[in-house]
Amino acid sequence: MSLFLPKLTCKKDIDEVIKCVAEKVVVLRFGRDEDSVCLQLDEILSKTAHDLSNMASIYIVDVDKAPIYTRYFDISYIPSTVFFFNGQHMKVDYGSPDHTKFVGSFKTKQDFMDLIEVIYRGAMRGKMIVQSPIDPQNIPKYDLLYHGI
Amino acid sequence: MGAYYCAICRQTTFTGKGHIFGKNHQSRLRVVLLKFLEKVKEARRTLKKPQVEKFDCTQHKQTFWCYCCGLEVERNVTDGNMTVLYGGLIEHMATPEHRKNTHKFWWDNKADPKFRDKVIITEEESERFKAEVANALESFVEKEDEFIKQQAEVIRAHERHRQEVLQSLLERDTEPELFSGPNGTDVFAEDAVSSQFPPQGSDRPTGSGFVDSMVEVPRAAAGQGLTFIGYQDSSNGGNVHTGAVPPWLQDDPLEGTSGAAAQLEIGPSLQDFLKHKEQEKLRKLPPNRVGANFDHSSHTDANWLPSFGRVWNSGRRWQSRHQFRQEEGQKTRQKRKREHGAEGSKKTKTT
Repeated sequence: MSLFLPKLTCKKDIDEVIKCVAEKVVVLRFGRDEDSVCLQLDEILSKTAHDLSNMASIYIVDVDKAPIYTRYFDISYIPSTVFFFNGQHMKVDYGSPDHTKFVGSFKTKQDFMDLIEVIYRGAMRGKMIVQSPIDPQNIPKYDLLYHGI
Repeated sequence: MGAYYCAICRQTTFTGKGHIFGKNHQSRLRVVLLKFLEKVKEARRTLKKPQVEKFDCTQHKQTFWCYCCGLEVERNVTDGNMTVLYGGLIEHMATPEHRKNTHKFWWDNKADPKFRDKVIITEEESERFKAEVANALESFVEKEDEFIKQQAEVIRAHERHRQEVLQSLLERDTEPELFSGPNGTDVFAEDAVSSQFPPQGSDRPTGSGFVDSMVEVPRAAAGQGLTFIGYQDSSNGGNVHTGAVPPWLQDDPLEGTSGAAAQLEIGPSLQDFLKHKEQEKLRKLPPNRVGANFDHSSHTDANWLPSFGRVWNSGRRWQSRHQFRQEEGQKTRQKRKREHGAEGSKKTKTT
């Protein structure tokens, strides 16, 4: 499924995408193509990519290819999905401990579409953090570990 | 007694004629009489000296209500061209029916008899009036005739003045040509006066010599104050009447000679136009959206990082970037130390 979504393989590409996509949400999926949960998420992403094309641009990133971003975005579980708008990182409160990214896969396509719409509307009104419309039962649960620096 | 409608109070009374002596009725009656008498006074003033005016359809068709007879009567008398002011009123008041009605009115309403006679005009008075009217009419007609004659005089004077001006101009111009073509000049001058057109060169083969010289000098024509600028010859090209191609659609002689070169295009190029369209779309977006002032085309170096709010941070987002860079720096230093240490141990082993 990830065959249909554009892939980014180096930091330069990722930078370019974040900087150049204008007035649309940038969705970066960090994960590995072989992983089962990533496969599920990729299917949802590719099936909704066309419908959301006016609001969002979706990209696939392999965590092994751009380690600096893996560290910078603090990606410990895959898949993790990070959202940007006009070069600014968008935070979403899912009811989970980490607001900076979405960890895991979505339960339905509609959930993902709702989330994108909420992010887009919030960004248009100048909000850098929005409230997720997804039912908390459908959000994957995980433990956030604090690494001493 | 029965229903009785009083025209002055404009009421129906059932009490019979008693109300006539009442306060209300009498006061109203007085007001009515006053108004009526005013009108009659005006009319009486013209008895001795009748006024005759030119008929003015807006003003002279007025009627008035005679309370005694209960009729509407025309105030003036007119025959279409002239009117006698108050003529109608006087005529009506002279009639015997009006006399009778007036008496009845006065008796019925118990009005003051002093005023009664003012409303009636006797027969002698009316006879006198009629004689005066005849005189007045005659004098009026005479005056009108005189006025018309004066107007005619004025018009004739204007006409004469115009002719004189024309004559003087023609005489000035024909004097030099008298030497060149004496025979044709007079004919030509006369024709010019009668037709008042600048002559066509083709119509006058005999007088063509002085026609050209005449035509070249711009002068005031017989039409009021116009300047003649010359006969426009368009026989080699066309003109608007023959349906020729207009100058602005003809090829410009100042254009570039190579036919393959593109015409000078006006307006923005395709790129500019597309860019403009994008900008228009941007303008419609809300101005306070996230990253509205983000410059998408700015060049950044290789170690640029986007603004990212880290998980365990509170505070500004650039701090997370700052902190990350610091951590990276520490990590590389530690790595190098470890490598140095490993190399050192390797060296000691080998040597």
